[in-house]
Amino acid sequence: MSGFRGIAAISGYAETPFSRARVDKGEPRLTAEEYYAWALELLLKQTGLEKKDLTGQGVGIIGSEWPHSEIWSAEAIQNLGLEPKLLVRADHGGANAAALLVQGVLAIQAGYVEHFLMLGADTPLSITGPASRTWRYDENYLKPFGTMGPNSLIAMAMRRYMNDYGAKPEHFGTVSVVQRKHATLNPNAYLKTPLTMEDYLNSRLISDPLRLLDICIWVNGGFAILLSSASAAKRITDKPVSILGFGEWHNPNAGQPMHDITTTGVKIAAEQAYKMSGITPRDVSLFQPYDDYTVAVLMQIEDAGFCKKGEAGRFLEENDISYQGQLPVNTGGGQLSAGQAGMAGGFLHFVEAARQLRGEAGQRQVKDARIGLVTSLGCVGFEGHFINNYAVVLGGEV
Amino acid sequence: MSSYPKPLPEVTPLTKPFWEASKRGELLLQRCKNCSTYIWYPRHICINCGSRELEWVKASGKGKVYSYTIVRQVIGNSPEFSKEIPFVVAEIELDEGARICSNIVGVKPEDVSIGMPVEVFFEECTPEISLPKFKPAR
Repeated sequence: MSGFRGIAAISGYAETPFSRARVDKGEPRLTAEEYYAWALELLLKQTGLEKKDLTGQGVGIIGSEWPHSEIWSAEAIQNLGLEPKLLVRADHGGANAAALLVQGVLAIQAGYVEHFLMLGADTPLSITGPASRTWRYDENYLKPFGTMGPNSLIAMAMRRYMNDYGAKPEHFGTVSVVQRKHATLNPNAYLKTPLTMEDYLNSRLISDPLRLLDICIWVNGGFAILLSSASAAKRITDKPVSILGFGEWHNPNAGQPMHDITTTGVKIAAEQAYKMSGITPRDVSLFQPYDDYTVAVLMQIEDAGFCKKGEAGRFLEENDISYQGQLPVNTGGGQLSAGQAGMAGGFLHFVEAARQLRGEAGQRQVKDARIGLVTSLGCVGFEGHFINNYAVVLGGEV
Repeated sequence: MSSYPKPLPEVTPLTKPFWEASKRGELLLQRCKNCSTYIWYPRHICINCGSRELEWVKASGKGKVYSYTIVRQVIGNSPEFSKEIPFVVAEIELDEGARICSNIVGVKPEDVSIGMPVEVFFEECTPEISLPKFKPAR
């Protein structure tokens, strides 16, 4: 498929304030249901739509840490009073938003719906019931040896990455420090205290070589994104953000018992997305890569084609990734500093891209932002690779 | 029920031969009868060719460290592990061509390196489960 331009656009976006449920600091302690309601209300206000305008359209919703019911999408729309024609649920982890976006634009392209409402909320800091079970490969073949969830798996990918390509702690630190700088300019970021490289290098090792400041910070929060057909988007806003192309790939090298874990499936996904949109990495004005860990950002800089494999460290030495630089990266602070809203964390990158491309990013606005690339990763597999991989090219005009 | 305080794998009909062999001090791997691919963790179908004809075969127990991490903080696992910190979790490339996650012991964490030759031994946890762990090869 090529020539996707002019078919679908992001016509609205909403992001609730984030919280770590520190009631002692005056932070709210809300449920996922409350965040869904809040995000939907914000979206209706921004788009000027009434809830009934979404009747008979598409709705996509994600799973969350709690509640994690077998049947959740039905309960969620009942709670929200939505009456859709199409209802889908994502269980793609960090790639939840990307997964919903692809399903939504395909439904719009098919003419099945005109609008597709993407909903994502999670409250990892105030889980009120039993935590969800993790993957059985984790329980049976990793945890008995003392692995600490994705921290240990990513630490091993990071070690291998450093070994193979000579990456230094300072390279990972650059991502951490620059994204924090962006967070200081984002009123909704959770961590706004400026960071220095020294702070990064002094942060404690959690799973050596992984430091505390290599890891995203959990927040409670919710998002809503409205996808619309190109013509419907124009009726809602004079600033639609067009979906120019997308790509995805799951479980790369599935049949190989031993594969390179320093390359993500974003490589394949981005090639698809570039081909579909007819752009090249040089056309990208801002890049929002999934940032559960700093090393993931380095890998995606390579896999999305901004430099050769293994050269992201040098790329970071020679290029400025701040909002004023050659390649602005995670311009709102990303999950490392703005916060990871649990299973909804991947919505952040799409909201920030849309905000930038609409020229609504305030102090951190990228000048002449025309094309945005969002790449998403989800679900760390047995060997420490990412199972779900996406790339989405967004443009300022339909 | 055992009093072993840390997580243990579930023994299923699929994995029973593996854990029984572990008690005898033997490391088994699945091998596809059709395409000879070695597989870890245990599956119901060959991840390479799609055949369900998988057999358990004895592995050499020898391999090399593909990557490793030194765990320094317990997050999301049994607090019992805090008594062992720092300890090494590694991905080991077995000579047969499959990767297994385990611990490297019998060596200081800072002396572990990528490519280091290692060999398996078994640590008895309960009468049912002995976990395959690795130490530097002799």
